[in-house]
Amino acid sequence: MSQTVDITLNVNGEARQVSVAPTLSALNMVREMLDLTGAKMACGEGECGACTIIVDGQSVNSCLMFAVELDGRNVTTIEGLQSPEGLDPIQQAFVDHGAIQCGYCTPGMIMQTKQLLAEIPNPTDDQIRRGLEGNVCRCTGYTKIFDAIHDVASRTSS
Amino acid sequence: MVDSIQKETLIGKAITKPDAPDKAVGRTRYINDMVLPRMLHAKIKRTDRPHAKILRIDTSKAEALAGVQAIVTADDTPMLGIGVNKDNPPLKKDKVCSIRDEIAAVAAESEEIALKAVALIEVEYEDLPGLFDPVEALKEGALQIHDDKPGNVGLSYETKHGDIVAAEAESDFVLDEHYKVHYVTHVCMGPSCVIADFDTDGKLTMHTQTQYPYNYKMDLAPALEVHPGDVRVMQPPVGGAFGSKLDVYPFEPIAVYLAKKTRRPVKLTFSREEEFIASPTRQPAQFHIRAGVKKDGTLTFRDIDAVLNNGGYTSWGATTPYVMMRTFTGHYRVPNVEFKSVAAYTNNPYAGSFRGYGNVQATYVTATVMDKLAEAVGMDPIAFRLHNAQEAGEVTPQGSKLGECALGECIEVAAEKTNFLARYNENAAEQDTPGRYKNGIGIATSFHNAGGAKIHKSDGCGTVVMLDDYARATVISGASEIGQGIDAVLTQVVAEELGIPVKDVTIVNNDSAIGPWDVGVHASRTTFIAGNSAKRAARKARDRILEVASKQANVEADDLDLRGGHIVQANNGVPVVKLDKMLRGLHFAGEDAELIITTDYYEPPSEHEGDNHVGDMSAAYAHGAYIAEVIVDTYTGNVNLHKLTAVQDVGRVVNKLGIEGQMEGGIAFGIGYGLSEEMIIEEGIVKNPSFRDYKMVTPPEMPEIELHFIENVDAEGPFGAKGISELPTIIPAPAIANAVYNAIGIRFNNPPITPEKVVRALMEKAGTMVAAE
Amino acid sequence: MTEIENYLAPTTIAEATEAMAAGGVVVLAGGTDLMLQLEGKSDGTTLMNVRRVVEMQGVSVDGNRVRIGALASVSDMMSDPVIAETAPVIAETADRFASNQIRNLATIGGNICNASPAGDMIIPLMLLDADVELSRWNGGKVETRNVPLDEFFTGPGKSVMAADELLTAVSYARPAAGFVAGFDKTGPRPALEISMVSVGVAGVRSAGGLSSPRVAYGSVGPTPVRGHKVEAAIDGQTLNDDVVAAALVAADEDVSPISDVRASDWYRRHLVRVMTQEVLNNVANG
Repeated sequence: MSQTVDITLNVNGEARQVSVAPTLSALNMVREMLDLTGAKMACGEGECGACTIIVDGQSVNSCLMFAVELDGRNVTTIEGLQSPEGLDPIQQAFVDHGAIQCGYCTPGMIMQTKQLLAEIPNPTDDQIRRGLEGNVCRCTGYTKIFDAIHDVASRTSS
Repeated sequence: MVDSIQKETLIGKAITKPDAPDKAVGRTRYINDMVLPRMLHAKIKRTDRPHAKILRIDTSKAEALAGVQAIVTADDTPMLGIGVNKDNPPLKKDKVCSIRDEIAAVAAESEEIALKAVALIEVEYEDLPGLFDPVEALKEGALQIHDDKPGNVGLSYETKHGDIVAAEAESDFVLDEHYKVHYVTHVCMGPSCVIADFDTDGKLTMHTQTQYPYNYKMDLAPALEVHPGDVRVMQPPVGGAFGSKLDVYPFEPIAVYLAKKTRRPVKLTFSREEEFIASPTRQPAQFHIRAGVKKDGTLTFRDIDAVLNNGGYTSWGATTPYVMMRTFTGHYRVPNVEFKSVAAYTNNPYAGSFRGYGNVQATYVTATVMDKLAEAVGMDPIAFRLHNAQEAGEVTPQGSKLGECALGECIEVAAEKTNFLARYNENAAEQDTPGRYKNGIGIATSFHNAGGAKIHKSDGCGTVVMLDDYARATVISGASEIGQGIDAVLTQVVAEELGIPVKDVTIVNNDSAIGPWDVGVHASRTTFIAGNSAKRAARKARDRILEVASKQANVEADDLDLRGGHIVQANNGVPVVKLDKMLRGLHFAGEDAELIITTDYYEPPSEHEGDNHVGDMSAAYAHGAYIAEVIVDTYTGNVNLHKLTAVQDVGRVVNKLGIEGQMEGGIAFGIGYGLSEEMIIEEGIVKNPSFRDYKMVTPPEMPEIELHFIENVDAEGPFGAKGISELPTIIPAPAIANAVYNAIGIRFNNPPITPEKVVRALMEKAGTMVAAE
Repeated sequence: MTEIENYLAPTTIAEATEAMAAGGVVVLAGGTDLMLQLEGKSDGTTLMNVRRVVEMQGVSVDGNRVRIGALASVSDMMSDPVIAETAPVIAETADRFASNQIRNLATIGGNICNASPAGDMIIPLMLLDADVELSRWNGGKVETRNVPLDEFFTGPGKSVMAADELLTAVSYARPAAGFVAGFDKTGPRPALEISMVSVGVAGVRSAGGLSSPRVAYGSVGPTPVRGHKVEAAIDGQTLNDDVVAAALVAADEDVSPISDVRASDWYRRHLVRVMTQEVLNNVANG
C-alpha cells in the first residue's frame, strides 16, 4: 500500500492542501487534482515547454518536477495570470498579434515569456529566441510570438 | 441614429481568432483535457517486432489486475479492415506487419492501471524475416507480407503525355538522377486522443481529432458494424492535425470496441513515444528522374519512376502520387512527361496525409532539377525559370487550368526583393576560396491546388447562417477548426456580407449532428470552399433582408446596403433602419413572421480526373517563389538558414494575421524537412521516438521571414482569395538545397541536409575523404 | 524492479545518509533525469527528496576551495558571484545547458550522479580538477570522502559511488593567476541537444600557449574523459601549426565515440578535431 504525501502550497494566490503519491509529477497534480488543465502534456520529457509553470519565481517543466517538491512553494500556472481587470498584457499581445493557432503550446509559451520578461524586461531578438529555446510550437513558426513579446516589452519598459 | 455610414471592408484586415483569448488564459478544454462521467482509460498493447506470426496472446494476468474493466483482442472484433485499401484490421490476429501493430487493448479505471495491464499481456510470436526496402520488396521471390497482395504491390499510378522519346531526341542535355526523400512526421503538440461513448440506445458518439467528420463516419462504421448514420462526431479543440487525422486509424475503432464492451465512455490517448511510433508519417519515396532541356533553355521532357515505401498497411500516403503527378506535369511548362509509381508493402510504419501531400516530395525533385538544368545550359537561375514559366491561360498536360498564373511574377518579385542574381554570382565566385563560412542564396518555386481538390465524389461544403433578434449571426459550417484559423475567416466573410461587427458572428462547427457536410479540412481548400459557402449563405441572408427592407421603405433593394449593423441607403450611407430592429419586426410579424435562416452548399467548379489522370481538379491554382539565404559552416557542416523570403500568389488576403501565421508555420515545417527532421527507422524500428532526438525547428533556429503576397484576385475564390497553406511546407527545402549549392557547390538529393552529410560531401569533393584518419 | 511506496524528506545530511544506510532508497534532487528513469519502476521502494537539505545548498568558499552544494541548480551557476569570480567557465557552460526551464530545476549533483557521458556540467568541473564529496552513514555519524572527478566515472551511468553514498558537494581549488578556460558544445539544435560533442580546454596562459593544461570531452566515450594525450601534446608549448596538428592527432586517441541516432562516430571524431582546435585557440589567445 503506497504512502501518500500531504503537501501545502500556494497556487495562483490560493493556499491549497493536496495528498499526492511520491512519484506524481507536478504536471499531473495541477491537471488532475487541481483541475488546472492549462499546462499540457505534450512530450513528457522536458523538451517542449508545454507544461511550463512558475515555482518560486522560476519557470520549470512541470512534467519532470515531482509534486512532492512543491510543498511550501508558490506556484503560478497560466490560470493565475489574468486579473479581474482582464488579460495579462502578454496574453493580450499573443491574441492581438495572431501568436495563437491551435493554442496547445500557448500556456507554456506565455508562462515562459512571463519568466523571460521578469528577468529581461526589454530583451533583444536574440534574447527572446534564447529565452524560448525550451518551448516548441508546431503551428506558428514562432514569428508572431516574437512580435507579441517585442510589443509587450516596448510598451511596459517605455 | 448616426448620420452616414461609410463602406469599410474587413477583407485584408488583421482579425484575431475568436478562440484565442480562451486559449491564452488556459480555459480551452482540448480533447486531451476532457473527462466524461464514468470514463475509462484505454491503452494499446503494441507489438515489439516488425514482422511475425502471432502464436498466442495471453491476457489472463492483465484481466486479473484490479481496476481493469475490459480487454479486447482481434477475436472480439469483426476483423474488417480500415484505411484506404481496407487492409488494416484495428486488432491484428494472425500476424504483425509493422512495429506499431495493435495486438490487444485494455480499458481500466486509470491510465496507470491500463499501462500496468498492457505490460502483463503476454504474446508469443514466431519471428518472420523482415522486408524493409521497397525496391527489394518488389523483386521476384521476395517475402510476401500480405497473402492477398502478390508481389507486395500496393497502389500504382501512371500518367503519360506527349512523346518523351522524340523529346529526348530533341534535347541538348539530359539529366539522369536519383533522389530519396525521407520519413518525417507531424508531431502535433496534442498527442492522438479519442473518446468513444455509446448512449443507451446504442448510438455512438466519437469525440475525435478527425479533420473530416462526415466521410469519417463512412470510414469508421464498417469496422464497427454500425450504420454511419448512427455515429455522431464531436470535434473538441485539438492540438494540431496537419493532415494526420484524415483517415481512420486503429486506435479509434479500438476505443469503440472497449466502449461497447464496458458500456462506459473510453478515452484512449497516445504517449509521445507512441505518437512517434504509431502515428502516420509523411510518405517517403525514391525517384529516378530523367529530364531534358534544349540549349536555348526550353524544357523538353520529364520521365519519372517512383517507388514508395508503403509500410505494413495502406493509408493516404500511398495515394500521394495523385499530387506528385501534378507537380511533374505542371511545375513549369513541360509538354512531354511520363510518370510511373508503385507502392511496395514493407514491414515499416505506414504513411498518411501530411500538409503538402506528395508535392513536398515531388517539388524537392523538380525545383532542384530546374537549378541543375539551368546550370547545364549556362543560364542564370532566374532567366531559366522565367523562360519556362507558364503564362496566363495556360493549361498543364494534366488539365490544370492555371488561370492568371503568377509564377513569373512571383519569381521576378522574389529575385528583385533579395537582389538575387548579384548575390548568387558573388557567392558562386567565392565557393572555392579559402574561408570557413560560405554564403549561399537559392530559389525554388512550386504550385499547388488553391481551389480545393476534387478527389472525392464531392469537394463541397455546406453552411447555415442564422440571424437572431439582436442581429447576431450564427454560422454553422461543415468546415473544421483545427487551429488553422477558418473560424476567424468565416466570421470575417459573414460579417463583411452582413455589415455587422466580426465579434457578432459565432461559428459552430464541431458537431456532425448539427453541421452540414464538408469533405474535410485538407488540400488548402477551406478558405476557398467553406469561405465561398459561407459567403453565399450570408449573401442569401443579405438579399432577403434587403428585399424585406425595400418593401418596408419603398425603395429598390439595389439602392440599399448593410453597414455597421444598419440597413442604409447605398449611395450615401444614410441609415434607414437598425438591422436588429428590422429583424425583430420580421420575427414578430404574426402571420408573416419569418426568421432569417439561409443555407448554401458550394461545390467548386472543378472536375474529377478522367483517363490518364487528366482533369481540372481544382477551381484555382497558386504559385510561390521562395528564396533561402544560408551560411554554411564548412568546418562543422552546419547550415544556418538566416533568412527566407516567400512570394506567393494568394488571390486576395482575407485575414492578414491568419495568412501570415499559416505561411510562417508552414515554412517551419519546410525548413525542418530540408535540414533537420528525420525519423530514423532501422529494420522497421523507430530509433528516435522523442522530441530530444527528432529535430524540429526551435525558436533560435527560425530565420527572419519576409512575406510578399501577390493578389491576383481570383474570379472564383471568396473575395478573390485562394488556398495558401501547403506551399509554405513545400518550397523551403529545395530552396535551401539550391542555396547550399550556391555556397559550396554540392547538391543533396537526399534530405535532410544534416551537418554530417555536408562535411562528408565537402571532404569527398576536396578529395580528402578517407575511411579513417 | 519494484515500485516506490514510501517517501522521505530529510533536512540534514545526517538524516539523509542514515536513511540510505537501510537500503532501498532512490534519491530525488532536481528530478529532471529521475522522472524519466522511474516511469513506473525503480530500484528502490523509498523516494527520498533531498532538496531541503540545507548543507547541500548554495556555493561557499572555505579558504582556498570553492564548494558547490550538490543542490545548486544549473541556473544558480549563471548568477552566483563566487562562480563568476573564480570559474566563469562554469557559468559559460551553464548558459549552453538545455533550456531555462531545465536549468532552473537541474542540479549540479544530479548532473554528476547521472554519470552520463554527455553531462555538460561535468566538463568545466574536470578542467578545475574538482573533487566530488560523498557522504555516508557509518558508525552512528556522517563519514565523507572526496573523489577526484576524473576518477569518479566508471561507465555510462556508472560511478564509484556506493549504493549507500550521497553526493553532497563538488569542490575545486581557486585556480592560479592566469588560469583561463573555455567550453563549447555542438548539435543541430542549439541548446536542448544532448551534446553531440562537448569540449572544455583550460590552462595557465604562457608562451603563446597553455601550461598545466586541462582538456575534457563529453559524449565521445562511455564517460566524460580527460584529454590526457592532448594535454601532453600542448603543455607549455607555443601553439604553432605543428603543435596544434599533434594535439588533434592526440585528441583522436583520447576519445572513443560511438555511433548512435544523434551522430556517427566518424562525425563525432571530426567535431572533436574541429572544436578542440577552436576552443584551444580561443582559450590560449583570448
